[in-house]
Amino acid sequence: MAVSHAKHGQPLMGGSRNITASPDRWRWLTGEDGLQKWVFYIPALFMVFFFIIPLALTMVWSVFERTRFWMEPGFTLFAYETFFTSARAENYLFSMIHSAWAVAISFVIGFPIAVFVRRRIPQIAQHRVILLFILPFMISELVRVFALRPVLGRHGLINNLLIQLGIIDEPISVILFTPVGVVIGDVLSFLPFMVFAGFLAMEAVQKYVFEVCDDLGASALRTFRDVIIPLAAPGIFAGGVFIFVNSLGGALVPTILGGPGAVNAGMIVNQAIVAVDFPLAMAISTIMIATMILLLYIGHRVFDLTKILEPIQ
Amino acid sequence: MDQHEFNRRFFLKGLAGITGAAMAGYVPGLSAAEAEELRCWFSGIAKVGAKDFSAMAAHAGVELAVTTKSARADEAIQKMVVGDGNKLFDALTDNGGGMEDALASQKAIVPLDVSQIPNWNNILPMYNEGGLSADTVRYDGKIYAVPYISNADSMAYDYKALGFHPDSWGVMFDSQFKGYVALQNDFGPTLTNMACYLKGSGQVEIENVGDMKPDEVKAVCQFLIKYKKKGQFRTFWDGFQNGVSLLASGEVLMSSCWEPVALVANKKTGDKREILYGTMKEGHQLWNNVVMLSKGGRKRGADALFYKLANVYLSTWFGANTLKSYGFAPQMTGVNEYMDANPDEFDGNTRKVLQQRLADKNARYAVKGNAWQNVFPTHLRAYQDWWARLQAA
Repeated sequence: MAVSHAKHGQPLMGGSRNITASPDRWRWLTGEDGLQKWVFYIPALFMVFFFIIPLALTMVWSVFERTRFWMEPGFTLFAYETFFTSARAENYLFSMIHSAWAVAISFVIGFPIAVFVRRRIPQIAQHRVILLFILPFMISELVRVFALRPVLGRHGLINNLLIQLGIIDEPISVILFTPVGVVIGDVLSFLPFMVFAGFLAMEAVQKYVFEVCDDLGASALRTFRDVIIPLAAPGIFAGGVFIFVNSLGGALVPTILGGPGAVNAGMIVNQAIVAVDFPLAMAISTIMIATMILLLYIGHRVFDLTKILEPIQ
Repeated sequence: MDQHEFNRRFFLKGLAGITGAAMAGYVPGLSAAEAEELRCWFSGIAKVGAKDFSAMAAHAGVELAVTTKSARADEAIQKMVVGDGNKLFDALTDNGGGMEDALASQKAIVPLDVSQIPNWNNILPMYNEGGLSADTVRYDGKIYAVPYISNADSMAYDYKALGFHPDSWGVMFDSQFKGYVALQNDFGPTLTNMACYLKGSGQVEIENVGDMKPDEVKAVCQFLIKYKKKGQFRTFWDGFQNGVSLLASGEVLMSSCWEPVALVANKKTGDKREILYGTMKEGHQLWNNVVMLSKGGRKRGADALFYKLANVYLSTWFGANTLKSYGFAPQMTGVNEYMDANPDEFDGNTRKVLQQRLADKNARYAVKGNAWQNVFPTHLRAYQDWWARLQAA
């Protein structure tokens, strides 16, 4: 059978049926004035409906009047006053400090891993090695965090080992149910964020830079401190933000590994919701959002976060 | 029936309804026809049997479509008062002693005609004798809720490690157990139990332990802050498995907790430890869980189905089995007699264990300083604020 390579608007096959492949049929979708151009607005619409509007509502509800079981329209800063004049602000600050520690330790452990993979692993295997860091994410976070209890506990793996080796006589209790335990949990949970972001950031550091450093006789430490870190700073900052946000808002780690009454910002919000104090929960959420925006603004001013995308460009 | 099945049925029923309406030319739901299945929003513990609600449905002779819920007050309020809970559910469970008042005051649930529940005659006398126990199922003098479990929250301890049976909360503050004590991470039961202790031991004057004034809340929290700073507490636990793990691993030697935590921890630990649940002379927080009929359920004609199910909740079959599986207190009389009459279901050893368990519960209930749970105390803000201070200390 002969195949007809029909021109636009011509019948594809002979016969009485007038089947055409006219592009006009799809002009409403793919033409210059077609719906196609609106496709690009979908992400914007998504952001408006699922980010901007909820954000605005959070701020509006935070100044509503609390009723016994809900809230009613009005304007009061009572929820903010409650936050700043109670111990919640103190808890929030502690939570930020613990999160900052988690970021710092993740950087110290995770970024050298990213540098090592980028420099020492053959290019063809680099992405596969990095993918290994996704493996822990295949296991539920609850299981991963809970599994730390038999490791860090008084009768846990670490203490038993140290006692058997004769290094300690009494179990170390500071590594579980303390702020230290929370930071350990955060680091082990969120370390891959730093590895991924660091790996991506290292794309911005061309190989010849290392060669130049070697040629100039710079030590590994100096190359790392004065060359690699400044060049990869936007990526490191991005990884740090991921860890900071998760550590600040996730309830799991402080609940399972934290000491008496351990809380983070997310748990403070949750406790307000459980107590049916919705304006307070909204006020704390607004403060969290403001903290994040401020952090991103500072990061952008200092590191120019648009540079994160430079390797892709 | 699981969530998936529930949604599928809902979808199919909705589809059938729309088709039927289109054919008959009217909108379904406007007729007062009786419901054929009871749509329930229930806690997972409101059943006999580990898997699903099929045993409950079979005993009640009612088809049940169950969606499981947590015990969070905010969730029930949001769903039933401002959300679509009344459209979705005919019946729900929650904490007595506050939630029935909250939901009834917002007209989310309806008063019950207990003459339609034959087993109401077997309900524990405390629910008909007035006072706080009776209040946990009533609002404005009318009955809105049927209790299905209750308990007195107390302290679990490792008898092998302690070598004695503590009978006072005071042992938690003994310096020899520094760092080996855990409390529940929930200001309701923790502050109430500690208030029972402080009042019962004459350390703080508290007028009403179940509904403390701001100064009283402050005194209780300051006491806890003092001991927290000394390092007395290992942690405040949250979540069932978390509580079990603390006791079973020997990480703590005593913990305020729900009774099932102690039972499961004792099973889990084998011969290493002996986790028991004590009776505290200063008192305990008492609580119950109740089942309620929603306003939407009454609109849809679900009353008859609800009463059939409520009757099962007040049957000795349910009481004996919930005592056996979860360790919660039955809400009716005649449980021992039921177990004696059903040796196939409860062998001699099981009967002995459960009868002792029931006797222990009765001993806890008899303590003078007990206080009923109050989900929404008058000075809730003071509870919240001082709890935050305790956390920050």
